[in-house]
Amino acid sequence: MNIEPYIAYAKKTFLQKTAYRFDHLMNILSTCLKIFIFLEIYRALYLGREEIGGITMAMVTTNFVLSMGLDAAFYIDDFFLPGKIWDGSIATELLRPVSFKGRMIAENLGNAFFKLLFCFVPTLLICVFTIGMVPPHSVEMFGAFLLSIILGYGVLWSISFAVQMLAFWLVNIWSINTIKNVFINVLSGSMIPLWFMPEWMQGVLQFTPFSSIYFIPVQIYLGQLSFREIFLRCLMQLIWIGIIYELGNVLWKRGQRKLVVQGG
Amino acid sequence: MKIENDTLFLAGIYMKTTMKAWFQYRIDAVLRSIAVFLRESTGIIVIYFTLLQFDTLSGWNMSEMFFLFSLLFLTYGIMILFFTGLRDFGGMVRSGNFDRFLLRPRGLLFQLIFVDADWFAAIGQGGLGIVLFILSAGKVGIEWNIETIIYYVLAVAGGVLIQGAIFLILATLNIYLLQTDSLKELTYHNFRKFAGYPINIFHKAIQLIMIYVVPFAFVNYFPAQYLLRKPGAEEYSEIFFYLTPVVGSIWYLAAYLFWRISIRWYKSSGN
Amino acid sequence: MPEFIEVKEVSKVFKISKRSNGVPGMIANLIMPKYEKREAVRGVSFSIQQGEMIGFIGPNGAGKSTMIKMLSGILFPDGGEIKVGKWIPYKQRKDYVGKIGVVFGQKSQLQWDLPVMDSFELLRAIYRIPKDLYRRNLERYIEMLLMEQFVHQPVRQLSLGQRMRADIVAALLHSPEIIFFDEPTIGVDVAGKEIIRNFIKDLNQQDNVTMLFTTHDMQDIENTCKRLIILDEGEKVYDGSLMGIREKYGTTRQLDVEFNQEEVVKPIANVEILEPDETDSRKRRFVFESRNVQINDLMNELLSQYDIRDINISEPEIESIIRKIYNGEVVSE
Repeated sequence: MNIEPYIAYAKKTFLQKTAYRFDHLMNILSTCLKIFIFLEIYRALYLGREEIGGITMAMVTTNFVLSMGLDAAFYIDDFFLPGKIWDGSIATELLRPVSFKGRMIAENLGNAFFKLLFCFVPTLLICVFTIGMVPPHSVEMFGAFLLSIILGYGVLWSISFAVQMLAFWLVNIWSINTIKNVFINVLSGSMIPLWFMPEWMQGVLQFTPFSSIYFIPVQIYLGQLSFREIFLRCLMQLIWIGIIYELGNVLWKRGQRKLVVQGG
Repeated sequence: MKIENDTLFLAGIYMKTTMKAWFQYRIDAVLRSIAVFLRESTGIIVIYFTLLQFDTLSGWNMSEMFFLFSLLFLTYGIMILFFTGLRDFGGMVRSGNFDRFLLRPRGLLFQLIFVDADWFAAIGQGGLGIVLFILSAGKVGIEWNIETIIYYVLAVAGGVLIQGAIFLILATLNIYLLQTDSLKELTYHNFRKFAGYPINIFHKAIQLIMIYVVPFAFVNYFPAQYLLRKPGAEEYSEIFFYLTPVVGSIWYLAAYLFWRISIRWYKSSGN
Repeated sequence: MPEFIEVKEVSKVFKISKRSNGVPGMIANLIMPKYEKREAVRGVSFSIQQGEMIGFIGPNGAGKSTMIKMLSGILFPDGGEIKVGKWIPYKQRKDYVGKIGVVFGQKSQLQWDLPVMDSFELLRAIYRIPKDLYRRNLERYIEMLLMEQFVHQPVRQLSLGQRMRADIVAALLHSPEIIFFDEPTIGVDVAGKEIIRNFIKDLNQQDNVTMLFTTHDMQDIENTCKRLIILDEGEKVYDGSLMGIREKYGTTRQLDVEFNQEEVVKPIANVEILEPDETDSRKRRFVFESRNVQINDLMNELLSQYDIRDINISEPEIESIIRKIYNGEVVSE
């Protein structure tokens, strides 16, 4: 497979983003404000206590900075394919000599890479200097953390990919997509650190794709997992990516067939 | 009055048309209500799990928190019932479709309120407010008598006006600015997300913003404080507890004037 | 006959916000926007009588749509006066817009998901159209625009031409006294265009309605309008009949000559000699201004000097004259 056109797509998206610098500044401020307010809530909940069930305020801080920062950076256009189906341009898109899926991945990666560099990194720096989050547990753990956020992005992307495919059958996927986002927001740890979920739910959640998006990277960053556990969790992330992507792929093939039969 | 009848008649036709359009996609409409309900519930679910662990937040228990949030959602739900048409006002201005409304012999705001009203989304929002109210109203120790009921109704009315004023101002800004999304996100959506929390837990600057800039504090915090008398509001004068209808009226009037002036500006500047 | 629409020395200046680069620039823009002035319409005057049909043309950015917007009351003029009948459009909005109809070729006012008839019913309520007038208009327009087959279909299923016809009816249901058409045939196929043009012409003749329309399609103008107003860079550059434009600007003549054999043609004063067909050197084209060169003199000269097989005189097309006016290539005398 020739990789060149995909790099071009990724580069194009990356460069397009640079045009909206004002939006990015607002975005960074907005993320910082959200983190700041969440921490105020947790300060009120902690009432000056050092730790609750072994979780210190600094750990909570780290959880919010990393998961919300990544959440802002991992923005995926959930209406990329639905938009193309809606306006009918999907038919011409499919005739191009590049893989449509490949292009989706490339554009999203270009976008995510830009946001990581220009939204996540500044947010992280601001937070490190103002609200004192915990530094990475060790160099090795930081390396594992980086690997696991890439996998986390993979999980998030494949979920979006699979849901977008439903647009072949539904008039409007706004509702389904919104419900998907509710699950991700609540269960990925970006709005409530999963340590504070009831025990039985934590047990269930650690095996879902949602917690593997942000919570596993956060745990690795904080050094809460042994190398064996890290290996198993990353393997699980990989398995989830495989399953969800394959599901999306089946829908993609059927959707294309439907498109051919009905002519759009 | 003849004109009054006629206006109601037109409102009826608008509603009929909107319903008819929605019923073209029945399942989608119902899904939309559910999705909005769930999306707005996100904050509630987060509070539920948090308070399972922590019991109280600054002295507020689960029911009291739900009561606080119910005011926010109820007022927003009622407001959006009228103002859904303004949600995409920015898009209308940019595409030039707003001109069409200027070309019809009817009030502008009236047309915007009734055209394309998305009641299914409003049902999702208001529904959550009602659910939260039912879950909490009996458990927070409010004695529901004539006095508290009148207070509650006035507070909700004031809250609706405040929510409407903020919404109208944000929509109107689209006449001046091409892109308002990121600004809106920073100044409005962020604060709306946290408006359900007792404001005394926040930094002083945020409290001041929530009282004087985007006055969500009057939508739920001060009315709930009047009814529940929780600790934390000592630094605010008693008067604040009674101001919701006043603040609502003033803000709405100001928003409406801003709207009128902006329409004039639009007609002189074009787009 | 009294003037129905009177436009006196109207001008409109737009402030265009100047975009600064970079984040500091964006913030500065938010706080203190900088503006650049652009004069969209400069001292335009004209008057129109009831029942006239006027073609409003000009290149993009000439000020056509600004003029239409001011005439329909959406925009205030910055200078000058506009009066339509007894109204001042931008002052008595609600009264005035009930008397006009506006068709935007690029923006539909129909409900996308509903049958065409539902949009009509809604407009009946909006414009307070009496029932019998509504029914009469509807029947008549549907017949004139051949719409029986699709008035009960959802708008999203219509072709562009069908949608445009429905949009025209939507703008006319309340029997407006003036109708503005903004590009009413844009994107419509040939047959659809024909139906729309005939309808516009018939309506103008039968009802004595005043009509103004902008278009890029000269066929629209040639088939419907007697009078033409041309705007360029905000100024009125022509106002008169379609034929008059040829008399005024179309003074260029073109003589195509085919010789019997290859010829070396000697230069002639005030005449441009072209080779229209590079593969055939027996053909020449002589282009000249009718005021400089008498056609008889030129013909006699050619016939006496060369062996000529065929000769053909042509006047320029209206379309090409107008294009030249836009390009500033011809100046009025």
